[in-house]
Amino acid sequence: MNMKTTRRGALTTLAGAASAASLPLWARYAQAQTSEPIRIGFQQHSTGIGAAYGRWYGRTTQAAVKLINDEGGINGRPVEIIAEDDGTDPKRGAEVVEKFANQHGCDVGFGTLFSHVVVGSAPRAGELKLPYFVVSEGTHVSSGMLNRYTLQPGITDVRSQVIAMAPFITENLGKKVTMIFPDYGFGYDHRDALGPAIEAQGGKVLAKIAIPPSETSFTKYFPKIPRDTEVLYHVMVGPAVLTFVKELGEFFGGRGPQLFGFIDSLEAVAIDSSGLDFLEGSHFWEGMCRHQQPDESPYETAYRAAVGVDARGASLSDPADVSTYGHMFGCWETLHIIKAGMEAAGYRGHADRPALIEAVEAMTDMPESLAHPQGTKRFNGKTHQVFGHQFITRVQNGTLKRVHTTAIDESVYPDMVDYTTQPL
Amino acid sequence: MSCAGLAHAHAAEQGFVLLLPTDIYIAAGGATVALTVLLLLVLPPGAAHRLFAVLPLLAPATVRARHLTSLVMTLILVLLIWQGLYGSRDPLRNALPLMVWTGWWIGLVTLQGLLGNLWRWLNPWTGAGAMLHRVTGQAAPLRYPRRLGHWPALAGFAAFAGFLLADIAPTDPARLAVAVGLYWYAMLLGLVLFGPAWMVRAEAITVLMRAYGRMGALGRAKGRLALGLPGWQVLTRRAPPLSLAVFMVVLLGTGSFDGLNETFWWMGVLGLNPLEFPGRSAVVGANLSGLVLANLGLLAVFALALWLGERLARTGRGLAQALCLFAPTLLPIALGYHIAHYLTAALVEGQYLALALDDPLGRGWHILGLEDAYVTTGFFNTPDTVRRIWLAQAGAVVAGHVIAILLAHALAVRDGTDARRAVLGQAPLAIFMVGYTIFGLWLLASPRGI
Repeated sequence: MNMKTTRRGALTTLAGAASAASLPLWARYAQAQTSEPIRIGFQQHSTGIGAAYGRWYGRTTQAAVKLINDEGGINGRPVEIIAEDDGTDPKRGAEVVEKFANQHGCDVGFGTLFSHVVVGSAPRAGELKLPYFVVSEGTHVSSGMLNRYTLQPGITDVRSQVIAMAPFITENLGKKVTMIFPDYGFGYDHRDALGPAIEAQGGKVLAKIAIPPSETSFTKYFPKIPRDTEVLYHVMVGPAVLTFVKELGEFFGGRGPQLFGFIDSLEAVAIDSSGLDFLEGSHFWEGMCRHQQPDESPYETAYRAAVGVDARGASLSDPADVSTYGHMFGCWETLHIIKAGMEAAGYRGHADRPALIEAVEAMTDMPESLAHPQGTKRFNGKTHQVFGHQFITRVQNGTLKRVHTTAIDESVYPDMVDYTTQPL
Repeated sequence: MSCAGLAHAHAAEQGFVLLLPTDIYIAAGGATVALTVLLLLVLPPGAAHRLFAVLPLLAPATVRARHLTSLVMTLILVLLIWQGLYGSRDPLRNALPLMVWTGWWIGLVTLQGLLGNLWRWLNPWTGAGAMLHRVTGQAAPLRYPRRLGHWPALAGFAAFAGFLLADIAPTDPARLAVAVGLYWYAMLLGLVLFGPAWMVRAEAITVLMRAYGRMGALGRAKGRLALGLPGWQVLTRRAPPLSLAVFMVVLLGTGSFDGLNETFWWMGVLGLNPLEFPGRSAVVGANLSGLVLANLGLLAVFALALWLGERLARTGRGLAQALCLFAPTLLPIALGYHIAHYLTAALVEGQYLALALDDPLGRGWHILGLEDAYVTTGFFNTPDTVRRIWLAQAGAVVAGHVIAILLAHALAVRDGTDARRAVLGQAPLAIFMVGYTIFGLWLLASPRGI
């Protein structure tokens, strides 16, 4: 695998964009009826609790838009990103959606990550009939609590991720599982999804240890882990997560149960940081493998180069600046779905927004490609949620090595809603 | 939330801070300040005062040159407001929020406090005021009512603090452009109507900058530009009037609350989950109340320490007089905490500011040659850099308190109290300052939820 692929080289070869990119700017959009740009309102967490994610979501978004524009834009029109900061605040999020629709003349809204902002903003997008493409991982889209104008076609949801993990855990790590999770919604999503999935595989959840969110020391909770635990499933998040790992390591002294975690805990943190040594040999779920795998697809290699991250998922300009690699591909893929949807719908202006929704709802299989570097996906038009492969990696010598890829079928669950029955 | 919403809840940085032996660092910081107090007990009475000796340098520049730079600043401000209204909607790309919150509030306030009164050159009103005066030939038609003192500036600063800490989107370019534009216009009107007294008593930014300017190493002494240990100007100037003294206390109280409102502790008080912070819109009322309570609390504790000190030393000074005399000693503490609190934001947003200045009008320019440059937060991701950043922050806090102790002692001795009684009278204030050091360091070490 050539790890030194340059950004331009990789993209031009792969995208077949060589001809388009070499044309002068005026010629690239010559076929368009209007050269008025397609305006995509990017609801960005520039400030607030989501800022670390927002920065990388922004970087991925800019890279995807550059590629789309280099290839000739959407329906021959250039794409323009209008980024508004929502402060990772649901009330502000709703205001931002309103600005997209009423002030900036955006064709669609896009890019929201944090669940509470999605839940706060989606109703307004529905009222304004603004197609709203979220990249949040939340199960709120497929649960039916949102509306027909809200879609999540570029990233899988937590419920599907968790249930896809269960067979691997019980078959390879152990059948007696203890869960440690933060005592609020995020932790409950894991608790509620994993328990039944483990039991369906013939395993057993021995204990569910909920940790108060403001806790910064964990040693008093570890004695609650049953002695016959074979797998410890942990999904701690927040500033104290490094302390959690360190104290867990000190408690077990390297002789504890198998560890299985979600990369959310250590997103944007170098896995080989001192203090995290205890994670050696443990397993993680990853939405996309941060560290380059030997069989990485050329699409993913090109994606890394375009976003500007190296083989360890860190910024090319600063190897210590680790990206939110497990999630940010969702922005890239969603933008390509918006493009595909607008092209299928023959999108010309705001009046075609319902047609865009219908075009995306009609999507099903999305093959692995430069538009989908994370892998093949299957979209469920009724629930507005996409399903895809999940990756399980093991820390070996400070590197996350992929040991398993789940099948799409393993992550599918019964429909909870049919948004297509709602009026447009 | 650090800088008015330019927050960096960077879990990795805080994670590494939680792994540092901050308890030991905090104890060491507190001990340093306490040792300073003990040292003053054994040193000869004038020792503290001599530390603040002054070295005269150059003759000061002319007023006309300052009006010229002020006019340039006005022009820049107009360009920034135009960018705020019509430039990028992204607060991390638009030059206005970056210049206001990172360039001025973090950067310039810090430089003003370290170097001296740069605001004299950069104030965007005085040049315009002088030009209007010259064009119309009219002097200010009204006299500034003396009894108002600096209270209008305090009201202005309170409004600023409310915007910084409780507004839902203080970095939104258009929202900020309107606020800055209206404020600039209103204060220019005040300047035209009431003359320069308006600037130095009623305009909150100028009062704030001049207060911090007292801390600068450079200042005026005997008609010349002079250099000394930061704080020397506090000793050479007259004690401020009561309204300005209260302003100085509020500077510290507001800065402290700016740190406090981000902590897990404060989230706990509000009953919020710090890992799922619901956003600024959920804490508008709470932050405004907290801001008022924090300032009233600080004023009460500071006044209590002074009152006890005056009783012990039997100086015969009234409480208001003591407050005016010692309030400037809080300036180095406020400045030290300002630097510490905003250091992490400065490291990140400084990069965004550089990128914005590289292309100030959003035209794809690269004036500074920063093509293909990415903002990094990699220094928050390694234990070594995080430790260095934290110790730099702690150093600023401790240095601020040490200077505060030295200044308080020098002021007490200068005021005619004999050294033993001065030290005795200072004991309550010293305890307050050691306690405040520990509080400031605790704020830096606490996990934050925004």
